[in-house]
This record gives sequence, C-alpha cells and structure tokens, in this order.
Amino acid sequence: MIAVTRRRPELGLLFWVAALGITGSVAVAAAEVAGFRPQQLVVPATFVVIAFALHVFLAARGVRGDQLLLPIAAALTALGLVLVQRLASNLLVQQLSWTLIAAGAFAATILIPKDLTALSRFKWTWALLGVLLLISPLLPVIGREVNGARIWLGVGTVTFEPWEAVKILLVIFFAAYLEEFREVLAQTQRRFGPIPVPPVPYLVPIVAMWAIAMVVMVFERDLGATLLFLGIFLAMLYLATGEVFYTLIGLLLLLVGGFVAYHVFGHVAARVDIWLHPFADDVRFDTGYQLVQGLFALANGGLFGAGLGNGMPDRIPVVWSDFVFDAFAEEVGFAGAIALLSLYLLFVYRGMLIALRAPTPFLQLLAAGLSFIVALQTLVIVGGNSRLIPLTGITLPFVAYGGSSLVTNWMLVALLIRVSDMTARVRGTP
Amino acid sequence: MEITFAVLLWAVRIGFLVLLYLFLLRAFGVLHRALAAERVSDNAVRALGTLIVERSAGHSPRVGERFSLRASTSIGRDAGNDVPLTDEAASARHAVLELRDGEWWIEDLGSTNGTLVNGTRIEHAERLRFGDELAIGRIALRLEKGAG
Repeated sequence: MIAVTRRRPELGLLFWVAALGITGSVAVAAAEVAGFRPQQLVVPATFVVIAFALHVFLAARGVRGDQLLLPIAAALTALGLVLVQRLASNLLVQQLSWTLIAAGAFAATILIPKDLTALSRFKWTWALLGVLLLISPLLPVIGREVNGARIWLGVGTVTFEPWEAVKILLVIFFAAYLEEFREVLAQTQRRFGPIPVPPVPYLVPIVAMWAIAMVVMVFERDLGATLLFLGIFLAMLYLATGEVFYTLIGLLLLLVGGFVAYHVFGHVAARVDIWLHPFADDVRFDTGYQLVQGLFALANGGLFGAGLGNGMPDRIPVVWSDFVFDAFAEEVGFAGAIALLSLYLLFVYRGMLIALRAPTPFLQLLAAGLSFIVALQTLVIVGGNSRLIPLTGITLPFVAYGGSSLVTNWMLVALLIRVSDMTARVRGTP
Repeated sequence: MEITFAVLLWAVRIGFLVLLYLFLLRAFGVLHRALAAERVSDNAVRALGTLIVERSAGHSPRVGERFSLRASTSIGRDAGNDVPLTDEAASARHAVLELRDGEWWIEDLGSTNGTLVNGTRIEHAERLRFGDELAIGRIALRLEKGAG
C-alpha cells in the first residue's frame, strides 16, 4: 500500500507553466501570415495534459521530496515547444511525440529500478555499455555522419544520438566507482611535491577516460561531447576526493589534447578560427555564417526583444537545434534570456542541494553529477552561441529540438527526484 | 480592427514575458520554503546514531568499538559489511539497520542463527530505540544517539 502524497507547491507551479506554454504558442501563432487558428492550441494543450499527468503520477506513487524540478523541466520543455513552433513548425508534431516518449521514460525511471542504490552494484556493466555506445557511431552500417560529426546511429529514418544516453550511464558509473575508491584516491600517502600520487591501478581509469575523450574528439569529430565527457569526470573526481590537483592535471591534459588537435586536425582548427574571426571576409558568408547570423540575432534582441514571432531568427541556419538560445534572446530580449538562464540556475542549484543532503556517497555523487551535466551543457552551448567559447554541437537542455536529448534529460530529472525522495524517506520529511 | 489586433498581439507578447518572470518568482518562493523546511530536518538528523560493541567473542570487533551508522548500514560476517562481525554464528550478510522516517529499523536478512533485540529473536523488521541491545551470535551491540 503506497501512501499518496500531496504535492501542492508543484501543482501550483504547473498552473504557471500551463499559462506560459499556451500564451507563448498563441503569440507565435497570431504573428503568422495565416493568422491564428484554434486548432494550433492542440499542441500546448496536449503538453499541459502531459505535465499534469506526471504530477498526478508522482503524487499517486507517493513520491516525496523535491517539488521544484518537475515544474522547471516542464517550463523549459514548454519553451522548447513554443520555439519549435516558431522556428520549425513542420517538426512540431514530431517534437510533441518525443515529449510524450520523454514523459514515459520519466515515469519508467521513477518505477525502475525499485532500489536506486542497486545501480551501483552493476557499475562495470554501465561503463562497458557506455563505452560501446560511445564508439558505436564509428561502426559501419548503423553509424551516421551528420554535418561532419560522426555521432549518430541510424536505422531507416529514425536516428538516435547515443552520446545522450552515455552521459547518464557515465555519471552512474563514476558515482559508483568513486564511492568505492575515493578514499584510496584522496588519502594517498605518496606525494610528488604537492601532487598526490595514488597507486598505479587507480590512475588507470583517469588516463583511460582522457584517452576515450580524445578518441571521441579525433574520430567522431565531436568537440562538445569531448568537453562534456571530461568536464563531468573531473568535476565528480573533485567532488569525491577534494583534490584540486587531479582536476588541474585533467585540465592540463585537456589543454594539451586541444592544442595538439588544433594543429593536427582540420575540423578543430576550423571551429577555433570561426570563433576567433567570425567576421573575416572569407568566413562570414561561408563557415562562419551561422555564428554571425546568431550574433546579429542576439544584438537585434535588445533589452526586451522584438516580441515573440516578430523577429528574424529564421536567418540562422539550423536555428531550431543549434541556436535556440539566440532565437529566444532575439524575440524576448535580454530580459527573457536572463529569465531562461535563471531557470537553469534554479534547476542546478536545486540538484546540488539534493546532492548535499543525499544519505549515501553514491547518491550524493549521482545527484551532483546529473546536475552538473545540465550546468555544463547550458554553459557550453550558450557560451558557443554568444561567442564566449568555440561553438560545439551540444544542445540546450530541454529547449532545443531533438528527441534523444529530451528523453535522456527527463530521465535525469526522474533520477534527481528519486534521490530526493530517498532522502525524504530516510529523514521522515514530506 | 487592424489596430485592435495589433494591440492584442503586443499584449500577448508582453504577457508571455511577464508570465515567465512570475513563474520564476514563484519557483524561487517554493525553493525558499523547501530550504527552510530542510534546514530544520538537517538539525534533527545531523546525529544519526552509533553502534557500540558491548560483548565480543574475539578481537574483532573489540569491546567498546564504535561504528557510526549510515542511513543504511549492513551487518554480517563478510569484510564488505559496514559492521563486519568475526563470529561463526553470523551469516555473511546477516542484517541491515536502516533509517526510515527518522526512526531506526533492524531487519534480519534470513540469517541462519537469527538476530536478537533485547534478548528476543526478531521475525520481521523491528523498530530499534536508542539504548536497545542487538545480539548476533556471541556479539552484542548497543544503539546510541549521535555520531561515533
């Protein structure tokens, strides 16, 4: 018998999400040449039903703990649907279907596995599965190359980006691995100057992670995944051991790898050159066109934007998956962009608080790693869109068009909610 | 007609931005209240509990040794347990001590020789209070408040 929980704050926030999604959709539809048609409300209405269904599901299952993550993730997904309607309305129904699948994946992750800590027992299985998935796009027949990056799996017309699933598997593996070995890694007696030298067997995984990251950069030509992969590992290593030097060594390895890659591989050098000189004569109408148009959109937005549906974000090629942040900033301005970033900030802050209070080291590292994925992804893509760092193929979590990303991000939310639920159960809080 | 439509359109656009900020404010409010509630429970749970060895058969564990408890603490003969017991009467994975709703519960994991709470063999999961004595084989442990 499961006690039903009352999740009032969550319910209250979802009403605001519903209002936000429907208003956004109406604004976009009304600005179209064809004018507003009532049937266009079907998509936001369906989304609202999905969001409330998830709330009812959590309450009926008696899930306790956090009530903030579901509304924030729902708000971001709603903004994503509004932007797909605005930027690529032919993909809208597809994105809504993916949202439905993502909701199913969320519910499944709440139910399975029954005991979340059991995940740590199969850590080498997760590691093997993760590495296989990571290198799977390199295989013939099923691997696909899109826009120069070989990061897709394809069967018929359905494509899937395995990296998205890999990041969650890796966080589970890192959390389990570091829970077991963090004391050996942190309390090593031998030091070379200020640098701790752990016994060789424990260094192997660190070097192996770096090597795998380099393979991804060289053979799959995916800078974003490389950055994310190493970033997650280094952050979790630091959280588990408190040793700054591991992080510094990792960053140094990344810099060395990046420097070598810049001089040896054309695709890395091209990305960096676009980033440094997007307005150069031979770049701005060619390889740098996308970034330059994105920057114009950002500038055009001003403080309050052109108004939803009133800007010209369609000038940016592939705007719906690569440059949603710039499109959003153009139409709702600096004010809207700051609000969007604040939503991510709240999400990550909440995730880190869940990590701090989790009852076991594995759950702490798991929650921290999952929150860090969202933080780093947001930083890398928003930084790329605004020319703070070179542009990479990372997607803006929950908002950018894309099925695999949406599904895995919702599974990530479910895992965070479960960690919070376990904490509440241990402590006897609602 | 045209002008009314344009005014409406702008009202919807501005409304969208306003709603975005209202949602953000509400979310901050929810987080703020949740944090206040969690801080109270932090103080209540800070000192989880400790097991103190009262009687022992050999050198491991020694009498007087203290084990700080985790939210889920495993007890048994295997060295991998949180509380390892070297007593042939203990099963490899003997029992588990768990915090549920802020209370300690002991559950026997189907051990051969059973677990005793204050001298009585337990059948189901049983609530353990501070000061209660737990006996497995020739080893006795007492649950005390606070971290080791």
